[in-house]
Amino acid sequence: MKTGKELKPGTVLRIDNDPWLVQKAEFTKSGRNSAIMKTKLKNLLTGYKTETVYGADDKLDDVILDRKEATLSFISGDSYTFMDTSDYTMYELNAEDIEAVLPYIEEGMEDICEAVFFEGRLVSVELPTTISRQVVYTENAARGDTSGKVMKPAKLKNGTEISVADFIQIDEFIDIDTRDNSFKGRSKK
Amino acid sequence: MNASWDIFCCVVDNYGDIGVTWRLARQLVAEQGLAVRLWVDDLGAFVRICPQADPTAAQQWQQGVQVCQWPADWQPTPVADVVIGAFGCQVPPAYVQSMLERPTPVLWLNLEYLSAESWVEGCHGLPSPQANGLRKVFFFPGFTTKTGGLLREASLLARRQAFEQDPSARQAFLSGLGVQPEANARLISLFAYENPGLASWLDALATDSRPNHLLVPEGRILGDVQAWLGESDLAPGSIARRGALTVQILPFVSQDEYDQLLWCCDFNAVRGEDSFVRAQWAGRPLLWHIYVQEEYAHWEKLEAFLDHYTQGLSAEASAALVELWRAWNMDRDVGRAWQQVLVHGSELDAHARRWCAAQAAQPDLATTLVQFYRNWL
Repeated sequence: MKTGKELKPGTVLRIDNDPWLVQKAEFTKSGRNSAIMKTKLKNLLTGYKTETVYGADDKLDDVILDRKEATLSFISGDSYTFMDTSDYTMYELNAEDIEAVLPYIEEGMEDICEAVFFEGRLVSVELPTTISRQVVYTENAARGDTSGKVMKPAKLKNGTEISVADFIQIDEFIDIDTRDNSFKGRSKK
Repeated sequence: MNASWDIFCCVVDNYGDIGVTWRLARQLVAEQGLAVRLWVDDLGAFVRICPQADPTAAQQWQQGVQVCQWPADWQPTPVADVVIGAFGCQVPPAYVQSMLERPTPVLWLNLEYLSAESWVEGCHGLPSPQANGLRKVFFFPGFTTKTGGLLREASLLARRQAFEQDPSARQAFLSGLGVQPEANARLISLFAYENPGLASWLDALATDSRPNHLLVPEGRILGDVQAWLGESDLAPGSIARRGALTVQILPFVSQDEYDQLLWCCDFNAVRGEDSFVRAQWAGRPLLWHIYVQEEYAHWEKLEAFLDHYTQGLSAEASAALVELWRAWNMDRDVGRAWQQVLVHGSELDAHARRWCAAQAAQPDLATTLVQFYRNWL
């Protein structure tokens, strides 16, 4: 069982005996300390997609999935090919299947991802909790702040915008927490 | 035969949950002719807003609503056509099982909290398929046509208008509460949670050039009022004067009487959800004490509402109002912010009327719920 607040992209729920892949999950405080999770689901048998809402404490049947390590091999249009690092098998996903991690998918990335399989079929890919990405554009630091408390927008290679500390400069690598898309700090590499 | 509706209300704290569900239940009966049962786990809270109710009755009829004590030990009962779990409360598992076994499907709605945040529009009306095969639907009240709207009885604004146009009715109502304000006094109602910002506001009211008469229904703010006055044991009927300010404690009044109180006042400080909405229907400037949430999530809700509410105001009036609301909710200098708001008093008065009219032009919550059910059938 999973609760509503535990849902995340890559989770597969069993609803009315059908497997539904969570493609997107947005957590929101709704009031009086209760919360909801808005999700985008895809039926893995029919391909039908729908949006749903769950209370944070709703109990849901999840499907135990197979997971393997994989890396991005190449991108071709809307198609993303990942390679199983153990046997070099290639798997293809489209942009919608990996909507939640798409902001951080870019050519040349070396992250060891987790490929998620349902009945032998690749249905999703999850990124590591921390990833490193290069900043391709950001404004210069406004006041020379080094505390990390003042934030500014920065653009990554694939166009994704993220809020970073004011001291980050163009071409620097930054660490990002993929659980909440937050800036963690300057990469050590 | 009209549809039957069951509304489940778990009283978390205060009177917002029961206030909203009782109001909704009454309206569904009175205006839609529906058979409504209201299940309440704390009849003591219910009696505070419906004083004629019996706090010990397992079930009773009040204003056409069958009000039932929600027992800890749930007994089998026929399932209604429409089931509303208010504010995420957990409907009894045995009742849910009965919903599954019912030959005809049940519309199961999760009525959520009120918020002006933009995500509400994207979540309103979405299904929530459960592991057991039932489908809940999330229903969100709100301030736009892409939400479920606000609770508003069909006759509410006409009743308010009639009351406003009848000075004797106003006088009689206030007299009934023992309120006799000076002729030119600014009448203010105060219903709030504990608030450290109160002292600076009362300081400002006490040093004002115009008399202020503050009406405080019994509630959580009373301790702060007493502390500022340097008095203890204030009770309904108590009156204290400090400079230009008269403070008067009122009894906890019924929902209908509270509406009239709001209509009588020039300015209303309200809290939570139910009184917040009623103050908007009063068409008077208001100050909202929002329910505090973890990680300051309530600040975003506050700002989201202000973004909506201040549209159409001049930049100066908007800034003054926003600063007052922030000061009240973020422990800042309320007194100074209040003085800025007074500068824009007439503009804020007119704006409150416009806001009320604009909201009243949208379908109300009870109507949208019934319409949603009809579409679902």
